[in-house]
Amino acid sequence: MSELLTYIIFIPLTAALLVLLTPKTYEYLYRVLTVLCLGLTLVLIVYAAYDFKTHSASTITDETTLQLIHKTEWFSMSMGSLGKFSVDYFVAVDGLNIGMLLLAGIVLFIGAIASWNIGKKKKAYFSLYLLLSSSVLGCFVALDFFLFYLFFEFMLLPMYFLIGIWGGPRKEYASIKFFLYTLVGSILILIVMIGLYNSVYDPVKTAAETGYEVLEVQSLVKDGSIASDKIVKSFNMIHMTNPDNYIPGSFLDSSSLAKVFGQPARWIAFLALLIGFAIKLPAVPFHTWLPDAHVEAPTPISVVLAGILLKIGGYGLIRTAFAMFPDSAYHYSWLIGFFGMFAIIYGALNALAQKDLKRLIAYSSVSHMGFVLLGLAAMTVEGVSGAIYQMYSHGLISAMLFLLAGVLYDRTHDRMIENYGGLAKQMPKYTVFIAIAFFASLGLPGFSGFIAELMVFIGAFKSSGTIGAIPGWMPVVATLGLVLGAGYYLWALQRMFFGKFWVKDKNWIPALKDLDTREYVMLVPLVILILTFGLYPSLLLDLINNSVESFTNHLLSFHK
Amino acid sequence: MIELQEIISPNTNSMVYWLIALLAIPFLSFITTIKAGNKAPHWATSLLGINTLIAIYLAFLNWNSNPITIKGYWFSIGDTQLTYAFLIDRLTLMMTIVVNFISLLVHFFSQEYMRNDEAKPRYFAFLGLFTFSMMGIVLFHNLLLIFIFWELVGLSSYLLIGFWFEKKSASLAANKAFIMNRIGDLGFITGLMILYTQFQSFDLGAIKSLMSYSQIEDGNWIVQFTNNGKEIVNSLDGRWLSAAGIALFCGAVGKSAQFPLQVWLPDAMEGPTPVSALIHAATMVAAGVFMLARVFVLLDAQALEVIAIVGSITAFMAAIAALSQFDIKKVLAYSTISQLGYMVMAMGIGAYTAGLFHLLTHAFFKAGLFLAAGIIIHQLHKLESKEVKFNTQDMRVMGGLRQYMPKTFFCFLICALALAGLPGFSGFLSKDAILLNLSVWADEKGGGFYIPEVLAFATVLFTAFYTFRMIFLVFFGNFRLSKIVNQENITEKLKDGNFTLIIPVIILSILSLSPVFGLTLNAEHTWFVESFSTPGFLVPVVYAAKSLVEIPHENFEALHGLVNGVSIGLAAIGIFLAYIGYKPNAKLEQAFVERREPRGFFGQVSFYHWYQDALYRKAILKFILLKAKAIYWFDKHIVDGLVNGLARLQVIIAHIAKWFDKYFIDGLVNLTAFTGGRIGQLTRSIQSGNVQTYILLSFAFIILLMLYLVF
Repeated sequence: MSELLTYIIFIPLTAALLVLLTPKTYEYLYRVLTVLCLGLTLVLIVYAAYDFKTHSASTITDETTLQLIHKTEWFSMSMGSLGKFSVDYFVAVDGLNIGMLLLAGIVLFIGAIASWNIGKKKKAYFSLYLLLSSSVLGCFVALDFFLFYLFFEFMLLPMYFLIGIWGGPRKEYASIKFFLYTLVGSILILIVMIGLYNSVYDPVKTAAETGYEVLEVQSLVKDGSIASDKIVKSFNMIHMTNPDNYIPGSFLDSSSLAKVFGQPARWIAFLALLIGFAIKLPAVPFHTWLPDAHVEAPTPISVVLAGILLKIGGYGLIRTAFAMFPDSAYHYSWLIGFFGMFAIIYGALNALAQKDLKRLIAYSSVSHMGFVLLGLAAMTVEGVSGAIYQMYSHGLISAMLFLLAGVLYDRTHDRMIENYGGLAKQMPKYTVFIAIAFFASLGLPGFSGFIAELMVFIGAFKSSGTIGAIPGWMPVVATLGLVLGAGYYLWALQRMFFGKFWVKDKNWIPALKDLDTREYVMLVPLVILILTFGLYPSLLLDLINNSVESFTNHLLSFHK
Repeated sequence: MIELQEIISPNTNSMVYWLIALLAIPFLSFITTIKAGNKAPHWATSLLGINTLIAIYLAFLNWNSNPITIKGYWFSIGDTQLTYAFLIDRLTLMMTIVVNFISLLVHFFSQEYMRNDEAKPRYFAFLGLFTFSMMGIVLFHNLLLIFIFWELVGLSSYLLIGFWFEKKSASLAANKAFIMNRIGDLGFITGLMILYTQFQSFDLGAIKSLMSYSQIEDGNWIVQFTNNGKEIVNSLDGRWLSAAGIALFCGAVGKSAQFPLQVWLPDAMEGPTPVSALIHAATMVAAGVFMLARVFVLLDAQALEVIAIVGSITAFMAAIAALSQFDIKKVLAYSTISQLGYMVMAMGIGAYTAGLFHLLTHAFFKAGLFLAAGIIIHQLHKLESKEVKFNTQDMRVMGGLRQYMPKTFFCFLICALALAGLPGFSGFLSKDAILLNLSVWADEKGGGFYIPEVLAFATVLFTAFYTFRMIFLVFFGNFRLSKIVNQENITEKLKDGNFTLIIPVIILSILSLSPVFGLTLNAEHTWFVESFSTPGFLVPVVYAAKSLVEIPHENFEALHGLVNGVSIGLAAIGIFLAYIGYKPNAKLEQAFVERREPRGFFGQVSFYHWYQDALYRKAILKFILLKAKAIYWFDKHIVDGLVNGLARLQVIIAHIAKWFDKYFIDGLVNLTAFTGGRIGQLTRSIQSGNVQTYILLSFAFIILLMLYLVF
């Protein structure tokens, strides 16, 4: 089944074409087609995760330990003395992305159901949504930097239109802001990608080119005894993590003396990747596009945005910045940890000041993404697992939160907290789900968020006692985020749902009906998933353990 | 070298099924009761009855056997296995019975108390959730799992305090309780972080064994062990050892309502009264003390001192606050805080057994007091009508209830005597055990450590005073409501509680009699104290506190009579003063009925609980909210402003570029074209076809050429 991942990526794309080709008279088919095809994708992804071999050794610098590899040469050309330019179509999974793929499958499917009642320009909406799905899925499994970047950039286009056309009152501002902001990050990533390409060669292809064995090639390149036009350069992200594959003396080689702005080139390259993906994550202070995008985006797009798009930032940090520049990551771990801790508290304080429910959830996302940074900066197995778990768990919880915010917005077209009171009496079932989502998000044990945050905390503190990547006070201070989290959620709950029933506009009352079947179909599975991953963390941790361990060993191999 | 895997490796025991049942039945009650409609009360009560029987049966089987640990794997992070563990020892068994039994009584009581509430399925379901979470804390012997259930207990408390969510005050009180508990839990999490970093496990058995192997070297706290054969040496600054103990204690500060987080408990009285009896008097608030008992051996001298001091401050402050309340539940709430202070202080001074003993006796007599108060509130509630509206918990409307509710009065009196600590009642035994240990401890430490002793003894006096002030105000004199609403015949409707209400209270008051624990006036000879022994500290010697066990028994003997005498004397004085002040038609009683709030500095400080709440609300909460607003302003205008500013700058630059392009670059192009045109015109004008001009120009050029050649 080596093409499985390819099917997963291209099924939505094919469906997008089908939607485009279906005449407008069969408009009702668009949403059916979208839900069905993303359902199929989800089934395939679940199969991939089920089939994932958890006990086989996994080394993040060795592409033979990947699973479900599909790799063919895409295009290559000789560039004279600059060596050979070669781009692969290379998709595969390991512990670092299997969880993200699963999350993407779930959230995209739920988002498709949430899109059921989209009113205007259905053809455009569903084809763009499917296009977005393809690029998101592709981004998580692509292991050729060129391909990864392509998918990464391609997400912007559908996202721009999805917010810009189907969004709220300030949709133009929000979509442009989202687009430009992310583009700035992309440019930084692009620069590093080019730098990496110039420094990394593909030992296998070079061996094929020169006729040597792979191991021979590596020592020969080290000696400089292979002519530079024979060296096949590579975009392979796995090769990029292995320091043996850097051409000696090249720009980003770890022994390189190249300097940029007076700093070692590798540090600057790391920072560029860090900022590039931190914008996507988003990390404070690059987060201000998020509240605007969330508030203006239609519900399903908010769900997808919070549920998966943000995670690409975290995943990118793990797969590229940390894995390719472990030495620089260690050098900057204090800074990253600090920004993580800062984001946790800063985001929470901002959430406390919000009057708009959706904006509150958006800022809580900023706070929760701080845990990802803190966990990564810790560089311990617990911390990194916690970061990945947090991305996964936040994907589910924030999807649920935005769906719930959408439920209310659908009925009244108003999201202001102060305009509601005592909704528990009017919409008891809705209140139950809101309470579950709020408590899950504030990290109540039993829900997935707790496991993630706990792992980040113990991992971060352990880091201070063992490898010293970040000091012990950071996680201790970051725990304040838990109190603030309880503060803004419970306060919102109390103001909107408890007390006597009251709404600002009497005309809303008939519209304020309790949840309908379609909403149950979206919410119940999410609750079950959030609970399941809160009680059986091994479901996800078993998938990622080997890779995370290899990842942290890889990070620290430079430290020792 | 000690191997971690050997300590945490899974094992099993046939008892595990009973433990699972103990957890599963209340959980079943939670998920089924909510849909049970009118059958909910009976269904939930029956399930709890079964659970109580199991608890008793389990104790019957295991009371005299060695502690049993049952362990298993939960999940692994990398190659670190996280485990779960159950422990069955006498502490577990005692708590299992107390929690289930009181929960059963409260279920039983609530059948009548909540009869007319539409939402009773929800109520009984939440009680089930609470019992389930509480059982988790009691049964698990793993700090992470204890923490998980600890938070779930917080959730059920939140749900039950806010049960009448349409009342704004109830939902605010629920929030306050949850958030105050969360603040304490930050400490708990920090404790988890420290212990995990050092020992790579949350298993209490593993932590305890590894702790006993750890050492202090050059101020560093070092532990060596192997995990899967891999040798591990963990080292942290020695201060983290004390910090771990204090951090865990912070959790107890939240849950057991200790200074400075105790402000949530009085507000928690917004919940239904049986809930107050179960959660906010007998069991949940005692969970902090229970947790301290579980981690007792991991606490170092410094942490213990902090615990003792915080406990004594709490006991004293709350006793003062209880002196002047109007609301009967508030008096009981402050009294609970004060008694919890005693228990926590007992743990801090190392009086492990005495602390647990007080936990047990207090659970019974305080639950009894709350349920009796519940009967009063319930019966008074029946007097309310469209015309007659009053606060059913306000002691100013009560008075003389002895005549109308003799059974309730009698039970209330027994429990009150236990609270005041008079001989013959359970509270006397346990409180005196604490005071005796405290006196020995203070003598041992000397200096400033006499302050906790003074505070604790003063609390004895105040406790007796507020307890009997309550008795006189509620049960003696005339029924004040009839005067207030001007209806003499209103008392006709005032009756004692029925069978369902009174039975639990009778049971609890019987359990508040001291013979239940042994026919003795010396706590040491009760079966309880004889069944428990104080464990020795496992922390490295340099950090360990001196255990009370090491102090010669004579020191205790010598003080015993004195402590007994003083505490009885203080209690008697307290009761006498209450009689003087609050007997029917006494001066204070009159003033009490008429005033809206106590007068004078002392009265105000007491009534407003040292203004702690006001301080939090006005200073801290307001500060945080203001800060949040300020930060949001910063985020919106500065951070985002910067982004928008950059964008605007781009636009401005673009405009400049456009201008430049239009007028300069394009201007240059146009200029070139223009110049070309001009030159063309010029040259064209030369080519005029006029011969004279040609000759003139040729002539001029020749002259210029000649000039050039000459010079």
